[in-house]
Amino acid sequence: MKRSRIIELLARKMAGEATPYELEELNMLIDSYPDSVYYEEVLKQIWLNNEQDEADLPDVDRIYQCHRLRFYDELTTPVPEESVPFFRQYKNLSIAVLALCLIFFAGLFYIHSNEQDNFNTQLIAGKGVRKKVKLPDGTLVWLNSDSKLAYHSDINNKKVRIVHLTGEAFFDVAHHESQPFIVRTNKIAIKVLGTAFNVKAYPVDQKSVATLLRGSIELSVNERPQQKIILNPSEKFVLQDGQQGVMKMDSQDITLMIEHIMPIHIGGNEYIEEVSWKNNTLVFHNESFVDLKPRLERWFNIKIHLGSSRAKSYRFTGVFKNENIKEALTAMQLIKPFTFNLSAHDVTIY
Amino acid sequence: MPKPATDLSYLICDIALYDSENAYEKLFKSLFPALYRFCYYLLKSRELAEEVANDVMITLWKNRKKLPEVQNIKVYAFVIARNLCLNFLNKHSKRELIFLEDIDVQIVLDSLNPEQILINDELKKKLEQATEALPNKCKLVFKLIKEDGLSYKETAAILNISTKTVDAHLVTAVKKLTAVLKVEFNLM
Repeated sequence: MKRSRIIELLARKMAGEATPYELEELNMLIDSYPDSVYYEEVLKQIWLNNEQDEADLPDVDRIYQCHRLRFYDELTTPVPEESVPFFRQYKNLSIAVLALCLIFFAGLFYIHSNEQDNFNTQLIAGKGVRKKVKLPDGTLVWLNSDSKLAYHSDINNKKVRIVHLTGEAFFDVAHHESQPFIVRTNKIAIKVLGTAFNVKAYPVDQKSVATLLRGSIELSVNERPQQKIILNPSEKFVLQDGQQGVMKMDSQDITLMIEHIMPIHIGGNEYIEEVSWKNNTLVFHNESFVDLKPRLERWFNIKIHLGSSRAKSYRFTGVFKNENIKEALTAMQLIKPFTFNLSAHDVTIY
Repeated sequence: MPKPATDLSYLICDIALYDSENAYEKLFKSLFPALYRFCYYLLKSRELAEEVANDVMITLWKNRKKLPEVQNIKVYAFVIARNLCLNFLNKHSKRELIFLEDIDVQIVLDSLNPEQILINDELKKKLEQATEALPNKCKLVFKLIKEDGLSYKETAAILNISTKTVDAHLVTAVKKLTAVLKVEFNLM
């Protein structure tokens, strides 16, 4: 009877399904029947051998390649890019004129070499939409809602890979030793070799923020190109305008800050607020309604009107994943008292 | 072989939201070996097993928009594999209907290191013979739990039986093994 019980408990232990009580019981039984240690030893040896099929099993990399070829049509999804061919406008002109133009442009390219940004491709993520794309050089880009990324389709053959960003994007840059990758926004420029970082530069926001996860990046503010700022992993750079919407800045009007990014803990999970959006999660930590407003507007593709000044100063901490705007606001009502009025694309908060 | 802890739910999120082929490739590589092995038990043919495991994966891709709703992707994939295998067997058998318990499963206690003192070739053979006589479902349970490290709950869902039955099958299999050991080592 005891022996049978020992085996039963051993089986559960091997399967990882024994409860703490059962483990306790097993230990006691083994203490009183020391021979049964052998069972455990041998069973363990049988159990541990998970490698047996390793030799049998054909190489997974090769299988995946075959799989890819076989299901090529299913696997290739149309890349969401709106390509604007550079020469479309000359379509109806004679070849001679086209040739002249080509020579002219070639000359232009040559003179400006890598200085002038020539973009012929633009990726757009509309309001309430987030996209992930792979650039021709292998760089992965996550585009946040209401953002645009422009680049040249021939980026791979450029001395310097330059892209222009409006809005927010996360870059996982493919490492090419001799071709630096540069992200330009209207206010800052970031130069890297290969690394992962987030850039937030919405025209309507007062702040431009670059957050580095790994590697290092070299950053400069367009207004002061000579000054270079080096960021280390887990640091973020914040550029704050003196006045909203004023593009021409005096040195005194702008504030540069380097902060440390800290994972925040909400409901037992850890989030990095700056990049959580790319996993389709909206995280905010002790943020006022006013600061939260543009983020919510982009996230849910709605327009928010803050009707009461009291509500403006409410501060919220939270995580949204699959909620729609109504569910989100209802959840926020649990934190602070307010009422809201929701129509198709507008919300008024009282 | 300890597999790197790939967070499958993270991959699935990338696949469903961004149609990420990159994430799909990772999912493929982490699920394929176990699926292939499972199909091989049922179909006894490497080519067929590879074929079905491939089909399971592309089915996941085609249904990618719905994947985030799936509770356990591993179980989901195994259930698809089980159904495809049974469909195939039924289509090609002369008999009326084939059920899981009709399928003969072989247990192979393979590749033990020669320096392992406790189990020699002869003992291994005896252990294999002993388990050979077990009911087929019992062998399947043993294989899924031992080789693929699945839980009782997952195994139950895949084989469409209760967790109690899974426990009973596993205990039976282990008892058979230890019965051989008992004779071999003159225990109790």
